[in-house]
Amino acid sequence: MITFMLNGKEIQVEVPPHWTLLRLLREKLCLTGTKEGCGIGECGSCTVLLDGMPVNACLILAPKVEGRRVETIEGLGSRESLHPLQKSFMDHGAIQCGFCTPGILMSSKALLEKNSQPNREEIKEAISGHLCRCTGYHQIIEAIEALKE
Amino acid sequence: MIPPFEYKIPNTIEETCDLLWKAKGKAKIIAGGTDLVIGLRNGDQAPSVIIDITRIEQLRKIEEKNSTLSIGATVTHSEIASSPSVRKYGKVLSDAASEIGSPQIRNVGTIGGNIVNASPAADTLPPLMVLNAMGRVISKEEERQVPLAQLFKGPYQTQLKPHELLVQISFQKLHPEVKSSFVRLARRDAMAIARMNVAVVFQVEQSRIKDIRIAVGSVTPTPQRMSGAETFLEGEKLEEKLLKKASLKVSETMIRQSGIRPSTSYKQPVVEALFIRAMKKALEE
Repeated sequence: MITFMLNGKEIQVEVPPHWTLLRLLREKLCLTGTKEGCGIGECGSCTVLLDGMPVNACLILAPKVEGRRVETIEGLGSRESLHPLQKSFMDHGAIQCGFCTPGILMSSKALLEKNSQPNREEIKEAISGHLCRCTGYHQIIEAIEALKE
Repeated sequence: MIPPFEYKIPNTIEETCDLLWKAKGKAKIIAGGTDLVIGLRNGDQAPSVIIDITRIEQLRKIEEKNSTLSIGATVTHSEIASSPSVRKYGKVLSDAASEIGSPQIRNVGTIGGNIVNASPAADTLPPLMVLNAMGRVISKEEERQVPLAQLFKGPYQTQLKPHELLVQISFQKLHPEVKSSFVRLARRDAMAIARMNVAVVFQVEQSRIKDIRIAVGSVTPTPQRMSGAETFLEGEKLEEKLLKKASLKVSETMIRQSGIRPSTSYKQPVVEALFIRAMKKALEE
């Protein structure tokens, strides 16, 4: 049994130690917004925030989140009220197939929380652990840049 | 899918050593897991016990003691990259840590893990070798200090016994006048594994090179100090022609260690150029 904060709520869940956080989220907690791309930490599709830091959920064994704070795309906004990042991604055409989007949104959120005025280089660095095969990244960078205060 | 195993989370080094001793070689240590979890997934690793050492507070510290800087085995690459003391006293390591993998990898991957995984391409190893870093290794039997350069046996192989635990890395603080740099070459900046990585530290006194240390990774079975080039450069007057000649010593060592391979016609001029680039970068900073 592990206990951790998931999107602001404390949860307790029975999970075997050989499950990854990604598998726990998708298969047990039915939070399928977090995607599995490569499964080996290369593509960034499964990015969630652990204590506010972007991590690849496919490389985190479930027991590692005990007592920690996990944020997934499901905690970012809702259908009724989108997070400003989600709105900006839509406005800038930063989403095409959408598979990489949840992960990139989580890395973008972590960036803006640490640095509300990121320059282009800092934005590129923050999303450097993500592969997007549709957009060519420019629209994504512009969408994040538009949220600078 | 990852096959099952037992998962232990010790709170102390002693407890960890006990668990390792009892496991008789069937346990694996996990810190960040950025290498191990991939190994578990593809079947390269199949331990019956996994011991998570990231809750041991003692292993998570960066400490300054008189002339040395010590880094606990489970300090992450992000923590190293953002540590003012590492930047001040071992910038070559700080630079390497900031270029590893991706932000996601750096947030969980640790320096101890990068060392014991012993990848020939590990980015922290050439910097640690030019810093003459020492590893502190503890087991139920003994405690020992190992020069990092002696820790590697071959690709992905260390001299550590299965019941031994790397707990800390330490090195002599670099003086502010010491020049250093780290350069890496890969297919792209983020995520890609280094094709070559070079670290240098040296001083310049009256335009002569002093205390030069050079290490190259990825092109030999384990990262290597380039002692031929070091001896050649020591005490010599720093000039372009000399660096060119020294770069030939670097590629000679590479070929002696790895043999002539199909890739040699590419790697030879590139490792020479990369060494010169590292020297120039160190001089500019």
